[in-house]
Amino acid sequence: MAPPPGGLVVAFDSDPRSLDPRFQTDANGARLGDLLHVALTRADPTGRRVPELARSWTMEDRRTVVFHLRPDFRFADGTAVTAADVKATYDAVRDPALASPKRTALAALSAIDTPDATTVVMHLTDASASFLDATGLGILPAARAREADDVTTGAGPFRLVSVVRGDRLVLAPNPHYPDGPPRLDPLVIRIVPDETVRVLELRRGGIHLLEDAPEPEMVTWLAAAPTLVVRRAPGTSFVYLALNLRDPRLADRRVREAIALAVDRDGLVRYVLGGAARPATGLLAPEHWAYAPAPARRHDPRRARRLLARAGYPSRGRGTPRFRLVYKTSAQPLRRRLAEAVQADLANVGIAVDVRVYEWGTLYADVRSGNFEMASLAWVGVTDPDLYYLAFHSTMVPPAGYNRGAYVSRVTDRLTSAGRRTFDPLERRTIYARVQRRLAHDVPIVPLWWEDRIAVHTRRLRGFEPSPSGDLRSLATARLD
Amino acid sequence: MGTLPGRRLVLLLPTVLGVVTLVFAFLHLLPGDPVEIMLGDWAAPADAVALRRDLGLDRPLAAQYVRFVGHAARGDFGQSIAFRAPVARVIADRYPATVELAIAALLLAVGGAVPLGVLAAVWRGRALDRIVRLVSLAGVCLPSFWLGPVLMFAFAMRLDWLPVSGRGGLAHLVLPAATLALGMGGILVRLTRASVLAALGEDYVRTARAKGAPRWRAVGVHALRNALVPVVTVLGLQAGALLAGAVITETIFAWPGIGRLVVQAIQARDYPLVQGCVLVIGVTYVAINTAADVLVRAIDPRLAEPV
Repeated sequence: MAPPPGGLVVAFDSDPRSLDPRFQTDANGARLGDLLHVALTRADPTGRRVPELARSWTMEDRRTVVFHLRPDFRFADGTAVTAADVKATYDAVRDPALASPKRTALAALSAIDTPDATTVVMHLTDASASFLDATGLGILPAARAREADDVTTGAGPFRLVSVVRGDRLVLAPNPHYPDGPPRLDPLVIRIVPDETVRVLELRRGGIHLLEDAPEPEMVTWLAAAPTLVVRRAPGTSFVYLALNLRDPRLADRRVREAIALAVDRDGLVRYVLGGAARPATGLLAPEHWAYAPAPARRHDPRRARRLLARAGYPSRGRGTPRFRLVYKTSAQPLRRRLAEAVQADLANVGIAVDVRVYEWGTLYADVRSGNFEMASLAWVGVTDPDLYYLAFHSTMVPPAGYNRGAYVSRVTDRLTSAGRRTFDPLERRTIYARVQRRLAHDVPIVPLWWEDRIAVHTRRLRGFEPSPSGDLRSLATARLD
Repeated sequence: MGTLPGRRLVLLLPTVLGVVTLVFAFLHLLPGDPVEIMLGDWAAPADAVALRRDLGLDRPLAAQYVRFVGHAARGDFGQSIAFRAPVARVIADRYPATVELAIAALLLAVGGAVPLGVLAAVWRGRALDRIVRLVSLAGVCLPSFWLGPVLMFAFAMRLDWLPVSGRGGLAHLVLPAATLALGMGGILVRLTRASVLAALGEDYVRTARAKGAPRWRAVGVHALRNALVPVVTVLGLQAGALLAGAVITETIFAWPGIGRLVVQAIQARDYPLVQGCVLVIGVTYVAINTAADVLVRAIDPRLAEPV
């Protein structure tokens, strides 16, 4: 179907599962949710919370946050967004009867008061420095906040017009959007699962914007088209090798450091990703407010071999590995190429790697249950550094959290616990700088890269800015010439 | 229920129940938890427990199975875990697209294969016969995941005659239908050719010719009618393959059908949706084959008589 005149067609690889902020859990749902709903706060590219529906907020004490709302936001049906809508949405999510997957994120919230239409007072059960991260919840009209079915009415820049599952979603400007209704009318989201087809459609003009980075060689092909422009921006998605420290070989820090030294990160970025990433030193990208530079571990196979020998794995002659590791990965082509490259790098220091490719659901189940030795994984959408607690504190082994490698360090435990109780930004920054240095020393995971955001779009699209997290919010101010 | 469709309906129940039971068993053998996949990395364990309870996934497998079959018997396939909508509604949204694609592919395959098979048989050994055999062999051998992108590149990108992907008007239907039809058409061409060749050597065709029937009549009426019996039978079986082939073709051409839905549902471990899709595909398969049997008996009434 030809793109509608004045409208923009964006391609997604799969349907968003839910457009209701109470139930959104997938990346595509979140990207569209951003366009349909407004939240009290949103994350800026540095990971800091910035005002959206709340024009400001203050901490009355360590357990009380007062939000002052903008009075000019209106839902797509024209009714004003008030403190009552905020309270109703948060209360609905906290209600176990609704079975919202976001309920636990609001566990620190004990009560909400609304002294007037533009003031929301949130009372916390315990001091939680990361609580503001939970205020990115999209607000629904109070009258509909407890409906069991999906509610898509929001006060974001766009409103939902129609959904044809598996095919397309059509959005139109919210005429009441206070910063001025968007000029893209309609905004069509087409679901095109095959990457090659998305690229062909873009080249032929069937779609206007591709925000998910295609394979590097396809980007080169698209860049040659005179009607298209390739945009690159530093991204925050972090790709790493997860190591299972329950394995006695990987429990030895020297072995883990040897693996980190054996992997040629610069080579991976150059040859596997076509340069579309930055070699990573840790979870947080350099743009993040809490980022602290950690000592870079340069590719050094010689030192890796020495460390392995010292750890009790001496060279056993050409062709005989020191030991074997199983490397689990998803079937995504890029991840498979990464596995082959890591396999070659580790073979170079005498570690044989058996690559096992799994469908995502199987890989995820194995990683969660600790049934892996080494696996390639990614963190997407990191905002608050409290993730260090969830991913590296010794009590956060699944199912409690995300410490999948069962890493244990008393120093990291102490620091990450302090980080979540500290409100002063400078103090928090100091704590997380120490966490980052500690993790760089202990190597519980092997950081690989921060993926760049690559967007390809028609030259007619003006005002679109690819964001580090991949959100599409700048479409609210973009236009099609 | 002595009629053929009636007997088939009786057979349909154990067939579908068997398929659903197998799918239920295999789905639950797969590693992976729908709740964890659905909630992703950011969900807390307490949420996962609550959602698992809400979806009834915390009950014993046997209880889940009995509950599913009991509800399905009443036409309630439950709620899709991934889409948060009734399974029947999710399938109803996607099923028409698959039916549209399958009918178009079927028409293309039969409309092309039967005449070409007859012509190849009539002109056996000549250039047309050789070309038809070669093309049909290619049709059978070429996988749709290769053929689809090639057709797309040639007719949409290079020649600019047809849209690349998506569902819309008739033009959108051509490439996915042709991709699906080519494999099926290849088999049908070869089968039609062989059947017509066999029929042409039969006494009744020779008699018809001896009695002065023109050649077209001897071939088109006498030989073809008998040759069509195995063709229609295979057509029924191939229609099932068409539904399976739709999984790949629908993914390549961004066709919003049930084939793609099954893949999505399996990836999300959306048990109710997978089971609902399998049920619908199973029923469709049996219905098509029942129709094929009825058609075969209409073509050759001898087959309707008990031996």
